[in-house]
Amino acid sequence: MKSKKLLGLLMGSALVVSTFTGCGNSGGSEQGASAQASQTGDKVQPADTETSQAEKVTLTMLIDTDITLKGFQEVAKLAEEKLGISVEIETRPGGADGDTLVKTRLASGDMADICLYNSGALLSALNPAEYFLDLSSQDWIDRLDETYRKTVSIDGATYGVPYSSSQAGAILYSKPLYEELGLKVPNTWDEFIANCDVIKAAGKTAIVGTFADSWTAQVLYLGDHYNVLAGDPTFPEKFEAGEAKYATNSAALRSWEKLVQTSPYYNSDYLATTYDDGCDIMANAEAGHWVMLTQALSNIYELYGDKVNDIGVFGIPGDTDTGLTAWMPSSFYVNKNSDKVEDVLRFLEFYTTEEALDAYTSAVLPDGPYCIKNYQIPENGYDAVKEDMQAYFDAGKTSVALEFQTAVKGPNCPAICQEAVLGQKSALDYANAYDADCLKQAVQLGLNWK
Amino acid sequence: MDKKKIYSNWFLVPAMTIFIVMFLVPMVISLFFSLTVWNFRDYTFVGLDNFKMFLTEASLNIGIKNTLIYAILTCLLKVVLAFFIANFLTSKIKTKNILRSVIFFPNLVSTIAVGITFAALMHPSKGLLNATLGVLGIGPINWLGDPGLALYSVIGTDVWKGVGVATVIYIAGIQAIDRTYYEAAAIDGASKWQQLKAITFPLCRPAMNSIIILAFVGGMRSFDLIWSMTGGGPGFATDVVASIVYKQYGAGFYGLSTAGNVIMFIMIGVLAFPLQKFLLSKEVDG
Repeated sequence: MKSKKLLGLLMGSALVVSTFTGCGNSGGSEQGASAQASQTGDKVQPADTETSQAEKVTLTMLIDTDITLKGFQEVAKLAEEKLGISVEIETRPGGADGDTLVKTRLASGDMADICLYNSGALLSALNPAEYFLDLSSQDWIDRLDETYRKTVSIDGATYGVPYSSSQAGAILYSKPLYEELGLKVPNTWDEFIANCDVIKAAGKTAIVGTFADSWTAQVLYLGDHYNVLAGDPTFPEKFEAGEAKYATNSAALRSWEKLVQTSPYYNSDYLATTYDDGCDIMANAEAGHWVMLTQALSNIYELYGDKVNDIGVFGIPGDTDTGLTAWMPSSFYVNKNSDKVEDVLRFLEFYTTEEALDAYTSAVLPDGPYCIKNYQIPENGYDAVKEDMQAYFDAGKTSVALEFQTAVKGPNCPAICQEAVLGQKSALDYANAYDADCLKQAVQLGLNWK
Repeated sequence: MDKKKIYSNWFLVPAMTIFIVMFLVPMVISLFFSLTVWNFRDYTFVGLDNFKMFLTEASLNIGIKNTLIYAILTCLLKVVLAFFIANFLTSKIKTKNILRSVIFFPNLVSTIAVGITFAALMHPSKGLLNATLGVLGIGPINWLGDPGLALYSVIGTDVWKGVGVATVIYIAGIQAIDRTYYEAAAIDGASKWQQLKAITFPLCRPAMNSIIILAFVGGMRSFDLIWSMTGGGPGFATDVVASIVYKQYGAGFYGLSTAGNVIMFIMIGVLAFPLQKFLLSKEVDG
């Protein structure tokens, strides 16, 4: 009898032990081993920079698939020559699926060495102090533009390094189509709608909707922020304090009204059309407008070359005037728990040098001004940036989007905007739905709303 | 020691350990965290706020309604369609074996692949479905883009994929019925329809009950097909509880999404158990 008891106990403990060792293995020991290896490596060759530079290091980077890669690849090539650092790219989807993936990999301690992710409100939703390295003590961090730096800084710690140039949430329009129909760039919302009517009457798509990638649905609402500020300059502070709501603030509600108003002007398959389709459609002048981030210019340039200059840009029109809502670029964040932190920092330091920026702009032209101090936009920029967008900057008629002014952004914004474009309920209903969504984010962030 | 017992209780230890560590403990923990606002590191206790939010907010409670529609409709359609298909496939037809394989085939394809394929077939302007209907002068129908229709398009796909399993279970049930019943009925002059109604239907009840339970529970927790076809869209029109839980998790609302899981657990429990009890009470002996 005793032996049976013992056997049962043994089997039980064997099972439990094997289960748990199975879980722990992949996480701990591998990293520990390689960390040890690099430590001993340093000890053997102290201060011998030549040999350590010749040693190849491979960093991993998680990046989303909607972003343009060509410029980065140029810099990475240069980094491999100069620093002996090569970067291995792991891709993830954009939008909500991408957010889930990033959060899961962070929570499970499985993040790549470098994580590319949005700046601003979406960054604060990641709980960055827990996962990312504070870069504020690096001596090169002062190269970053102040406006940008604010959007990647939380509680005095700076986490991000800009991936590309800044950009704008605006309306891309087809110059050939405008010429053909004799249209003028609109200065007010009513003129814009009138233009859409003309294009629609001519049997063409007035606005191309690319909502199969649901994040693209929110650009009109987010990009209208310049006009919200024009109507109520204190909205962001009041919003973050929980005092102002989209449903009750007339300047802010206007954004949702505009979204509902565009409903009749989209292509019939706008819910099945993707961001990539949108680039093709605009480059081939098959639609009049596309409400999009100007990063699409770089995607179109990659695919179609000089055809990009057939596309012009204007800000989302207000009721009396038009300004531009600027977007901060996505940023590199350093995985705090990476065993190659030193190499990552070397790489990022290099990424912010003029040499690296030149390499970047040799492949991809900027979609807006750079976030590195004193770096000049190259002469051969896209017309849309050089002429159309620059005019807004020169006239001082720009602001950054709300997500760079507060930490609160409702995560269901894409789905609510998608619903609003269907236009089945009133703008007020959608504004209320978005307010409720933001409340959840505020509660999660520990803000004292309501 | 008790001589009647052949095996020692210690044999329970491995299974119990796994059950407790992997199932019971996480369940209790998730019940607790569903009452908090949680960011993996620290939490604030908020009582039933998460549940209140889940049940009152339109973008969240639409999932409960959709889950019920989805589960009931897919279950009903599978049970009815598979019954007739199974009867057809157990009758005297020559290509029986090939047809049986054909009807089961969709079930072998990965759900995500089915979702992506059907999303392409149902594309409003480039899809094969609308192109075919266009030849007949119908449409175009916005299968997945019309908020009133999208959920039913997904339900149709789910039925296409799942009807094979139900058919196979029915076939097993029908073949187990003694042929003499049919012979006796035929001699008494019963028509095929009467035989179907009075013999096949009541006697394959056990098979039908398994199908109802399987299809219903499967429908309640369906996620992959919906996610790959619509992502819960347009707007929130095809969101079910599972997809909402996934989205809230993605948004970082860990407490809220845990509450959604608890709600789903309760829903399945409250509906599936009485359903099974009811179905078992209706079974007759063959």
